[in-house]
Amino acid sequence: MRPEIAVLQEAMERQGYIADPAIATALFLAREMRRPLLIEGDAGVGKTEIAKVLARLLSTELIRLQCYEGLDVSTALYEWNYQRQMLRLRMAEDEGKTASEIEDLIFGRQYLLERPLLRAITRIEGPPVLLIDEIDRADDGFEAFLLEVLSDFQVTIPELGTLRAEHIPYVVLTSNRTREIGDALRRRCLYLYIEHPTLEKEVRILRSRVPGAGARLAEEIGRFMQALRRRRLSKAPGVAETIDWAQALCHLHSEHLDRETVAETLGCILKDQHDLRELGAGELEAVLAEVAEAAG
Amino acid sequence: MRGQSDLVRHLAQFAGALRQRGVGVTLSDEADGLMALTLIDVGDRGEVRRALRASLKIRQRDAAVFEELFDLLWKVRYDSSNPPVPAPGIPIPARPKAGNRPGRPATESDVERALALGDELGYSPEAVLRRKSFEEYSAADSTAMERLLSRLILRLATRPSRRRVPVRGRGEADLRRSFRRAIAHGGEFLSLARRARPIEKPRLVVICDTSGSMDPHTRFLLTFVLALRRVTRSERSSEIFAFNTTLVRLTPWVRPGRVDLTLERLATQVPDWSGGTKIGECLGDFVTYYLDELVNGQTTVIILSDGLDRGDVEPLAGAMRAIQGRARRVLWLNPLAGDDRYEPTARAMAAALPFIDRLLPAHNLESLERLLPLLAA
Repeated sequence: MRPEIAVLQEAMERQGYIADPAIATALFLAREMRRPLLIEGDAGVGKTEIAKVLARLLSTELIRLQCYEGLDVSTALYEWNYQRQMLRLRMAEDEGKTASEIEDLIFGRQYLLERPLLRAITRIEGPPVLLIDEIDRADDGFEAFLLEVLSDFQVTIPELGTLRAEHIPYVVLTSNRTREIGDALRRRCLYLYIEHPTLEKEVRILRSRVPGAGARLAEEIGRFMQALRRRRLSKAPGVAETIDWAQALCHLHSEHLDRETVAETLGCILKDQHDLRELGAGELEAVLAEVAEAAG
Repeated sequence: MRGQSDLVRHLAQFAGALRQRGVGVTLSDEADGLMALTLIDVGDRGEVRRALRASLKIRQRDAAVFEELFDLLWKVRYDSSNPPVPAPGIPIPARPKAGNRPGRPATESDVERALALGDELGYSPEAVLRRKSFEEYSAADSTAMERLLSRLILRLATRPSRRRVPVRGRGEADLRRSFRRAIAHGGEFLSLARRARPIEKPRLVVICDTSGSMDPHTRFLLTFVLALRRVTRSERSSEIFAFNTTLVRLTPWVRPGRVDLTLERLATQVPDWSGGTKIGECLGDFVTYYLDELVNGQTTVIILSDGLDRGDVEPLAGAMRAIQGRARRVLWLNPLAGDDRYEPTARAMAAALPFIDRLLPAHNLESLERLLPLLAA
C-alpha cells in the first residue's frame, strides 16, 4: 500500500471516521487527481460524513449544497439582492445619474447574494470542500448545469462577466440512488460505493463514536446489526442507525442486549412498519440467539 | 518509458474485457484509470483493484463482473522498481449475452455465434432460443394503434413539475426577470415577468414477460409499449425490461423509428425468448439493481405477465412489496384477465395481488385504451 493512503486512513481515523482501504484510496485519488468524488451507497453508511472529515483534515471550510427537487440556479449559485438594488436605484435617480452609471452601480458584487456554488468558487483563503449532497434529488437540468460548473470551475454572470475559481475546491457528491446519475456527470467524477460495514469495522466505529458503550455491548450491537442485515428487510439499517441505537442503549444504562430492551428500542434501527412487524413474532428471539451463539 | 506503455496496454485490454461484458467504460475512464495507477502502489494488487474501481467508475451492479475479470485478467505483478511485464495473450471472455444480468459468469458465447449463422439453437436442453418472426402483425394494425394512442395521449400529461419556467400571463412574479425588464424603463415596473411550473410527462417502467405462455400476447403488448414511448416522446423517462428466466434491460436497444424493426432486434437480444419463467427471481433482480434509480414517486410500473409460474412465490411477494413501496402506481396487465371467468388464483398471481394497484386485462386494443388514463402521472 502506498504510504500516503495509509497516512490518510489513519488521519481519518483520528478524526473519528473509521475508513476501510477502499474509502481511503478513493479519497486519496480524488485529492491527488483533483477530481470530484461521487459517493453512492445505502442511507446511513456515512457518505456525507466523508466530506465533513475531509474538511476537518484539510482544516478548511465545508460548503454544503443540499439538493432537492426543483433546486434552481438562484438557490445554488447566486441571486441578486433585489431589495437593495431597488433602493439604490431610487437614490441614483434622485442624484440624476445616467442609465449606464446606474447599471454599473447596482450590478456590483455587493448586491450579489452568493449561494454555495459561487461561494466555493470565489473563496480566497484556499480551496474549500464543496459537498453536493443527494445530487439524485435534483432534476436532470440541474445536473447538466452542475456538470458545466464542475468541469470549468467558472461561472458566468451576465451582468458581471466570468468569475474564475480562485482555488479549485475539493468536491464530494453523494447520491442515494433515487435516480440514475447521468453518465456525463459520472465520468467527470471518481466513484466510490460504500457498503454496509463488516462486523469488525462496525464495532470499531461504535467504540470510537460511542465511547460510553462497553466492549461487550458494542460487540453485541455489531453482531445484532449484522444478523439484521442478513434478513430480508425493506430498509436495512445503516451505521447512523447503529450509532443512534448504541447511544440510546447507553442512556438506558444497558450493558448487554436483552430481549426486553431491544424490543423497546427497536424503533432506533428499524424505521419501517413492515420491518418492525417482520421482526416481531419469534424472529427477534432468533436474531438474539444468533448473537449469543456468535459471541460464544 | 517501457513500463508505462505496458501498463497502458494492460489497462486497455482490461477495459476492453469489461466492455465486452457490457460494463460501460469509456476512453476517458481509461485515462482516469491510468492516472490513478500512476498515483498508487501498482505492486499492491488490492490497491490496484480499489483504485480501478474508483477511477473506472464501476457501479455496484457491475461490481461482480469487475471482480471476476480482475481476478482473471490482472495477473501481472508490477513492481514499483521493475518495468512491468504484460500478460501474454490475455484471454478476453466473450460477451455472454445481450442482457448481461449482473453477476453472471461468462457463458453461452455460442448464442452470438449461432445468431450470426442464422441458426436456431438450444439455449439449454429445455428452453428454446430462437429468432421470433413478427410477420403476423400487420403494418396497418400498428398504424391504427399509433393513431389511437396519439389521440389519447393528451390525457397523460397532467402533473406539474417542481421547477419553474418563464411563462406569459399566469404564474407567480419572477423578480429577477422583472427587474431586468424594469431597468430598461428606468426602474419602472411596467410589467411583471412571471414563472410557473410546467406540466411533466409521466415516467413509465414496463417489465414484460416473454416466456412461452405469454407468446401470443407479448409482441402485441410490446408494440403497444413502443408506440406509447414514441408518441409520448418520453424516451428519457421510460424504461423497458423483459424477463423470462433472466431479467434484461431492453432500454438501450430501443431506438426511435419503426416499431417492427425494434421488435425484431429485441427478439434477438433476449435470451430464452419463449422459454420458461422465473417471475420472482427476475423481479427480485429488478429490485436489487434498478428499483432505486429508476422508480420514484412519479413512476408508474407496468408488469405484463400472465402470472403462470410454478416457482417459489415468497421472493415474488417481497419484490412486489418493494416495488409498490416506491412506485406511484403498480399496474399488472394480464392477458388472461380478459376472460370474464378469470380469477387470479395462479399461485404467483395470487401472491402478487396484494401489492398491485390495478389488475387489468390486456388482450385487445380496447382493453389497452382503458389503461391510458391510469398512466397519467
